Amino acid sequence: MLCEKCKIREATIQYTEVVNGVKTEHNFCAQCAGEMDLGQDFPLGRLLSGLLGLGENSQKEERYAQVVCPTCKTSYGDFVKDSRFGCPDCYEVFDLLISDKMKQLHGSDSHRGKKARPVKIMARRGNTSGENPVQEEPDNLPVEERIKRLRACQEAAVRREDYEEAARYRDEIKKLKAGSETDA
Amino acid sequence: MLKWFEETDRENPDVVYSRIRLVRNWSEYPFSAKLSPEAAGEMVDRLEKGLRDFCLEAAGDYQYIRLDELSDLNRRALKERRLLNTTLTEKKDPVGLILSDDERVSIVLNGDDHIRMQFISQGLHLKELWQQADQADDFIGERFAYAYDDKYGFLTSYPTNTGTGLRASAVVHLPSLSSGKKFSSLLGEMSRFGASIKGLYGEGGDNYGSLYLVSNQKTLGVTEGEIVELVEKVVNQLSSQERQVRDMALSQDRIGQLDEAYKSYGVLKYARRLTWKDAMIFLSRLMTGVADGLLEFDGPCPIYSIMLGIQKANLQKLSKRPLSRTELDVARASYIRAELPELRH
Repeated sequence: MLCEKCKIREATIQYTEVVNGVKTEHNFCAQCAGEMDLGQDFPLGRLLSGLLGLGENSQKEERYAQVVCPTCKTSYGDFVKDSRFGCPDCYEVFDLLISDKMKQLHGSDSHRGKKARPVKIMARRGNTSGENPVQEEPDNLPVEERIKRLRACQEAAVRREDYEEAARYRDEIKKLKAGSETDA
Repeated sequence: MLKWFEETDRENPDVVYSRIRLVRNWSEYPFSAKLSPEAAGEMVDRLEKGLRDFCLEAAGDYQYIRLDELSDLNRRALKERRLLNTTLTEKKDPVGLILSDDERVSIVLNGDDHIRMQFISQGLHLKELWQQADQADDFIGERFAYAYDDKYGFLTSYPTNTGTGLRASAVVHLPSLSSGKKFSSLLGEMSRFGASIKGLYGEGGDNYGSLYLVSNQKTLGVTEGEIVELVEKVVNQLSSQERQVRDMALSQDRIGQLDEAYKSYGVLKYARRLTWKDAMIFLSRLMTGVADGLLEFDGPCPIYSIMLGIQKANLQKLSKRPLSRTELDVARASYIRAELPELRH
């Protein structure tokens, strides 16, 4: 069902109004519901505008709304409207603006869980033709270093008794060695 | 191969299933909502290639599905089994789904986030599921640089997932507790600990089936271990309270409970037409009877599997044509008759 108000987005909020014992039902999308003042007990209106801004300090918020992430062009206003970031860089760009909201949402603004692990060198790149393998394989590392890392992977694979994987690492090392010889 | 919901867990029959969901994003691309269809297609292909080895190891036999090439009906059937959410059911851009044959492991590529891993199992096994998810996450993280920040942890497109990206949840059957007057205040109390409890099929009195979904509210500032423990604690708390009420009912009026269970079985086994609502009410009562040890069957009786099976899209899929409302009720009744095992005499 489409939202009654904008007739564009899918209605996700069912709003039941009881006035003098007469019950009427409305269907709105989250965005329109957030924009409407649907009384104090309306949880989504509160969640969106209360948690993410557009609250009492709306003048200040309006100025903040102009802040734009240079990477993905998401503005802070867009973020508040959709309660969604555009890209990882948004976090840094909006950091000062969202820190408090994060605290309200999670009771904290700093991560305490698992940390990201460093990306391993990918030994197989034959099937990923035509793409830039920067993430998987830092080409800027000296060949010796890369061979060293691949060896470690190979040994780990042997320990796991994953000989197929080990063989692939071996081939990759061979290829690298051959390459460095022709370069020299 | 049996799907996870076709197996039964006798250990804690009131906990229908538990689930770990972990979302991650690849730092090379903007979040999914900002991706052009071309970039999304490229990313989905690259992720799928990179994950092939993992899938064989962690998911066993699996299939890879491109949701954008799937019919509406098939998408809705996946949604009914809770493998997709509503936005994904309608998304037109490239979306990949890696799905193990037993449906315990699923990975959505380019959903709301780039990678959404889901590990599911019947009964309450959140700790084990988290271990699996943790390993899978390590594997994937070593191949694709995650969007990660020292302060905010794993960066996700919605701020409600930021940090751990972890949602631990479990579905509990609370037929007696939920009909009590104090239930809503009990739920309020639980939410103060940071757990959210929602009706699985609707709010308040409309939650036919009396299944409740418990999950963590916060994802930032708490460790994964704390999240898993919190949800397990709340689930145990709820199911033990439910047990108390039920034990009391059994000791005060055993014949009444038996009657209810057998009557429900009778309706389900012999009805020729069943609305979804009626089916859910009787299946819930049957679930209570089975969990209380009042009924015994010739074979396994995976009631939740039947609850999944009687939904609209699945019944339409089985009948291979669109069904009218009445036809749907007829198909539902015959599905239940076929699935319900005979009573042991």
